[in-house]
Amino acid sequence: MTALVRTKPFVTGALAALALALAPAALGGNGGFAPPDPASPNAEGINTTYLYIAVFTGVIFVLVEGALLWFVFKYRRHRRARGDDGPQIHGNTRLEVAWTVVPVLIVAAIAAFVFYELPGISDVPPATAAGGREDVKVVGNQFYWLFEYPSGAVAVDRMRVPAGKNVKLEVTAPDWDVIHSWWIPRLGGKIDAIPGIRNTTWFRADKPGVYDGQCAELCGVNHALMTAQVEALPQAEYDAWLDARLAGEGLGEETFGGVCAKCHGLQGEGGIGPPLAGNALLNDPEAVAEVVRNGRGEMPPVGKDWGDEQMRALTDYLREEVVSGGQG
Amino acid sequence: MAVRAETVPAWQRGRIASWLVTVDHKRIGILYIATSAVFFVAGGVMALLIRTQLAQANEDFITGEKYNELFTMHGTTMVFLVVVPILAGFANFLVPLMIGAEDMAFPRLNALSYWLFLFGGLVLMLSFFANSGPADAGWTSYPPLSVLSNGDGQDLWILSLHILTISSLLGAINFIVTIANMRAPGMSYTRMPLFIWAVLTYGILLLLALPALSAGLTLLLLDRQVDTHFFTPDSGGNAVLYQHVFWFFGHPEVYIMILPVFGMISEIIPVFARKPIFGYKAVAFATVGIAFYSMLVWAHHMFTVGMPNVLNSFFMISSFIIAVPTGVKILNWLATLWRGNIHFDTPMLFALGFISVFTIGGLSGIFLAAFTFDWQAQDTYYVVAHFHYVLFGGSILGLLGGLFYWWPKMFGRLLDERLGKWTFWLLFIGFNVTFFPMHLMGLLGMPRRIYTYTDEGLLESYNLVSTIGSYLMGVAFLILLWNIVKTTKRGRRAGNDPWLADTLEWFTTSPPPPHNFDRVPYVTSARPLNDLRRKLQEANAL
Repeated sequence: MTALVRTKPFVTGALAALALALAPAALGGNGGFAPPDPASPNAEGINTTYLYIAVFTGVIFVLVEGALLWFVFKYRRHRRARGDDGPQIHGNTRLEVAWTVVPVLIVAAIAAFVFYELPGISDVPPATAAGGREDVKVVGNQFYWLFEYPSGAVAVDRMRVPAGKNVKLEVTAPDWDVIHSWWIPRLGGKIDAIPGIRNTTWFRADKPGVYDGQCAELCGVNHALMTAQVEALPQAEYDAWLDARLAGEGLGEETFGGVCAKCHGLQGEGGIGPPLAGNALLNDPEAVAEVVRNGRGEMPPVGKDWGDEQMRALTDYLREEVVSGGQG
Repeated sequence: MAVRAETVPAWQRGRIASWLVTVDHKRIGILYIATSAVFFVAGGVMALLIRTQLAQANEDFITGEKYNELFTMHGTTMVFLVVVPILAGFANFLVPLMIGAEDMAFPRLNALSYWLFLFGGLVLMLSFFANSGPADAGWTSYPPLSVLSNGDGQDLWILSLHILTISSLLGAINFIVTIANMRAPGMSYTRMPLFIWAVLTYGILLLLALPALSAGLTLLLLDRQVDTHFFTPDSGGNAVLYQHVFWFFGHPEVYIMILPVFGMISEIIPVFARKPIFGYKAVAFATVGIAFYSMLVWAHHMFTVGMPNVLNSFFMISSFIIAVPTGVKILNWLATLWRGNIHFDTPMLFALGFISVFTIGGLSGIFLAAFTFDWQAQDTYYVVAHFHYVLFGGSILGLLGGLFYWWPKMFGRLLDERLGKWTFWLLFIGFNVTFFPMHLMGLLGMPRRIYTYTDEGLLESYNLVSTIGSYLMGVAFLILLWNIVKTTKRGRRAGNDPWLADTLEWFTTSPPPPHNFDRVPYVTSARPLNDLRRKLQEANAL
């Protein structure tokens, strides 16, 4: 009896506090109670799967926790003595069979739905599908994403794609690097970028906009800073960007920001890496390329497989913007 | 083997010396539990540092480098130095007592297991002072990151795990042999306490799973030290191979950490509901079934590495199947409560708390087993929430129930009930406040193992709530510590059987004598003490 008096307000209080804490979140969007608002058909399929499973697990949750609370309340000790045994029931075979078979049916129903949704999530649309397809190679590096377009254009950390068009991604990492994981939550699930392995995934950002994500596999000291954006542009703007990038526009700044600044600071002021601002070595493009391609000390060979344009874009940017601390 | 006092040399009889040379399973069990408790404090402090760093967006309380070391060491400590060995401690103390034996089958080997555990743990802790700090590639230590990791920390991590693996293997052999050969007269396999079933299964799983870990660690060490390329692709190695080897050990390990706790729950619930366990054979069979399927689900940790969907589907289905025997156990515990006379002593509160939160951990596991959803949730805080619901809400809450339940048998005095209830409620609430929001953080898009984040909105609020919960849990453990200190001298004396329990350990004195039993009653069911009480009542009635 005494135990119950103490137990009940605690349980009620805890539940009320939880409900209060969660109510605003539940009202303002999904608040983390479901994956983020999907912006691509595969993300949509994953959300549908999540909600479908949530119906089953929700019912099981209510039944199990409800039975637990009900039994605990109904069969509490009350005024009975400790030695006062309950009925000596040792089991019931029919019940055991029932609560083995029913869960099997439930998981079978869940598995069936996963398979039903699977093609829409997993199958990369063919290049011949309506609207065509854009293919981009995604290379995970410590600690930046390198995007390579079939036309030869490259980008760092910010992928531009045409809105409404299927995009196939080939995701990998260089042989000398570590495992990363490509993930833009609103554009579908993640796929690991593994040295020596080429994985594929896809998305279609139906609305123009910027979609945020970040590396989802521990890749070292700056794992937390390895963010990625996908910017879906109207086709005309995308074409314009692609042309400009092929001419090298913005590549130096983007490379510096994505590759160098995470360790050396956005103004080259230093961070976990030494400061760059004022370092005369940066005036020597060949010396810079040597370090960037081969690494030095703790610094990984971040630019080992870059093309000459990207290297030149970086060395130009370093000479013009960083070595002088932005004064030049 | 209990050695008779007169044969012990004088120098071994001292208060400390007698513990250093002991081969008594009860003392070794207590040494295991106490040592694990110290490592638990270390791992807990690491967790609080982690939560403090994450309480706010853009926080710089801890650097990225230190943060990686902290969560690596937190995970490794909690898995290898806390949950696994503390279970070995309980099993050591309880197995011979519960089966009516004098000691373990190999008492000296048993002592060796303990000392290997202690020194393995010290190697890990001392790696904080290694050149370039301790390991920093996560408790899973995936290559190539772990191969490229600087300094000696990663090598010491491997060395430590090698030592702990040998310790656990020796312990596992000891448990299996003891249970197979030293049961009391009349105790057939179907009359063994369910905890013994669980320890037997735990031993077999350790024996099957640990060699895979040893092999993987050895290859990793070779990659680091002599430039082999088992796991690095530049000369034809394969990084994913390590993940297969690691999880072939790692998933059975999850059940190694939970099955004995299931066993404890199956002991506690009937005693405090005053009923026999509902479906003894179903529960025992479910234990074995979970163990079997636990060997077949490992790659559900790897749904994002790009396996073909055929393999993804296989591992999804095997993971779904393992939910069935787990569900059977929960339903049998509920049926045991049905029509009982439920006493809310602290061990029972922990057992009931265990059922309520373990159910949540099991259900989030169903989500994660669906590999398409896992592509969203993998490596996010959703996974962190899931395995803490299973490992903390499951293993640790259950273990604390076991601690309050068997403490009087170990030391002869009961822990304080009022303080015990405070510990339970603070821990239960603190646990949910800490870990429930992590589901939401994960679905909002927060990956695990990041030392900082920039979102100052909802994500930061959830993180702050979670950090507050973790401090509540810290307070709960301080109260437990105070409880232990307070009752050591002044606790209520327990007598042989304070809970009117069912199993043989309550037949002897608290604490038991070195040789455990003067005589062991013939065992006629899985509840020998209940049988004795009934006979006594019938005799009195006459």
